[in-house]
Amino acid sequence: MGVIDLEGLEVRLGNRTVLNGLTGALQGQVIGLLGPNGAGKSTLINTLLGFHRPSRGSARVFGLDTHRDRSQIRAGIGYMPENDSFIGNMSGVRFVRYMAELAGLPPEQALERAHEALFYVGLGEVRYRKVNTYSLGMKQLVKLAQALAHGPKLLILDEPTNGLDPIARQRMIQLIKEIRAEGSVRLLISSHLLRDIDETCDEVLILKNGHIAALCNIEEERRANRSFMELETVDATEQFSVRIRGLGCECACFPGGRIKLVIPGHVEARDLYVIASEQGVQIRRMNQRRDSLEDIFLRAMDHEWTGPVHVSL
Amino acid sequence: MSVYKHNYRAYTGKLTPGWARIFVLARYGYQDAWSSKITVGIFILCLLPCLVFLFAIYLANNPMARLLLGNHAPRILAINAEFFLNLLYAQFGPALVLAAWIAPRLITFDLADDALPILLSHPISRFGYVFGKWIALFTALSLVTWIPDLVLFAYQGYSSPQPWAAANLPIAIGLLAGAMIWIAFLSLLGLALSSWVKWRVVATGVIFAAILVPAGVGSIVSAVLRTKWGLLLNLPLMISILWQRFMGVPGFANSQEASLPTAAISAMLMLVCLLFLAMLFARIRAREVVRG
Repeated sequence: MGVIDLEGLEVRLGNRTVLNGLTGALQGQVIGLLGPNGAGKSTLINTLLGFHRPSRGSARVFGLDTHRDRSQIRAGIGYMPENDSFIGNMSGVRFVRYMAELAGLPPEQALERAHEALFYVGLGEVRYRKVNTYSLGMKQLVKLAQALAHGPKLLILDEPTNGLDPIARQRMIQLIKEIRAEGSVRLLISSHLLRDIDETCDEVLILKNGHIAALCNIEEERRANRSFMELETVDATEQFSVRIRGLGCECACFPGGRIKLVIPGHVEARDLYVIASEQGVQIRRMNQRRDSLEDIFLRAMDHEWTGPVHVSL
Repeated sequence: MSVYKHNYRAYTGKLTPGWARIFVLARYGYQDAWSSKITVGIFILCLLPCLVFLFAIYLANNPMARLLLGNHAPRILAINAEFFLNLLYAQFGPALVLAAWIAPRLITFDLADDALPILLSHPISRFGYVFGKWIALFTALSLVTWIPDLVLFAYQGYSSPQPWAAANLPIAIGLLAGAMIWIAFLSLLGLALSSWVKWRVVATGVIFAAILVPAGVGSIVSAVLRTKWGLLLNLPLMISILWQRFMGVPGFANSQEASLPTAAISAMLMLVCLLFLAMLFARIRAREVVRG
């Protein structure tokens, strides 16, 4: 049983199919949710929270159906929404306590945890100020504090670094890493910032137009220790790509003659020069590097994902 | 997660039962409602009629006062169903003012800062949310309607030299039922209208308008079409007819109002309540659903 299991999940809002046939099992400790605007990231989160009813298929969180068992699921989830979402006329500590009590904590424990959560995220000194007097960064942190206060099993963070300055962003990333290290909480982080996902997540789900474009374990990808190469070429032709693929390489072409390759162990750089020479292609630059999330993302955006649960790039 | 250690720890303590979350909403809503001094002022205003009627009961049971009033005493100081009906009439306006002030405070704070996604991401349903807020408003209105009314009834029972309370129990039941229907309806109306207006002051005005404008329109319809059914839009009138019938007080003799059947009034109130519920559930959502 994964943290999140999707089985042909389809969600329609009005006449529009926002999520279309999502299937996969997310099992990572920290799962990244990536995709361009309108890909369906927020709709997927809302569906997991039971706000949207699947029109077909199902989604499960810790084995519980997101529609039928939504109350149970919500009891174990801490949710930090993307946009401003708080009660502005309450003090920070009262707001967090209120949310903790709604999650099921008795009043005394809720108050204690509210203080702890606010200190933990760095708002201890301003916890008696009204939330609507907080800066944007503080508002993000108070949303994180309320999501954490009741000790959820799954923490859903929708664009957690949205609108934060570099220092505040670093602080947020650090907090996420600390929560991850503690080990009792699984995280689902939706972001359009690849760097945030890259720094914090071990598994990534990439959505594109309501479909799964890629679902892969970043850690496994890194552990695979495969050789990646980036070429800058002049006059590269389709035939050149075909010949490289013929060597057993995986190849992705980008505008400006840029080509990214995954090279199997038996292929040498010299083989590439040979093919380039035969095809009359100039290789201006050759970088050998590890795979990055950006590569995974760009490739996912380039091709529709049709494989099984996990893909290799 | 500790104040001193500044690290995260999971919560392993006990949890409250699911139904208790509704009362968390009610409690916080109630506290928010009473955080304003204006609420306290309106509350005192709402209790003034009770103080006047309390004094009247005292006088009615005071031999010296009865002696001073002489022959007029039995008429002026009669403590009967009509006396308590007048108490309900006197509370009608103040209760409306209190509801119009408190209801927007319960809902608009959540809507203004878009708190619904966070609130509803907790194990509480939309129905639970509405019910919790409704309890907060109903409780506040109870403090100025049926609770002091029953206290006055009990005081009269205690003060009267005859065994009064047992003989007049239907008055207490009518009082309780009438006040409860009124404040239950008022609570729903206040929440439904507040949920559609983000600004508190405007919401307060809209609540008054929702009571007074249809009443005026209903009267015009009745006058123009020469029919009694237009009066079904007149909420204060419908409520007062119900109160009269609950308490067994004859009223509006030989008038159109007298011929309005209780079933029609009840059906109209139910219909309006369903409309309010539909308004609430259309608005109380974690996310806007985009149609298109």
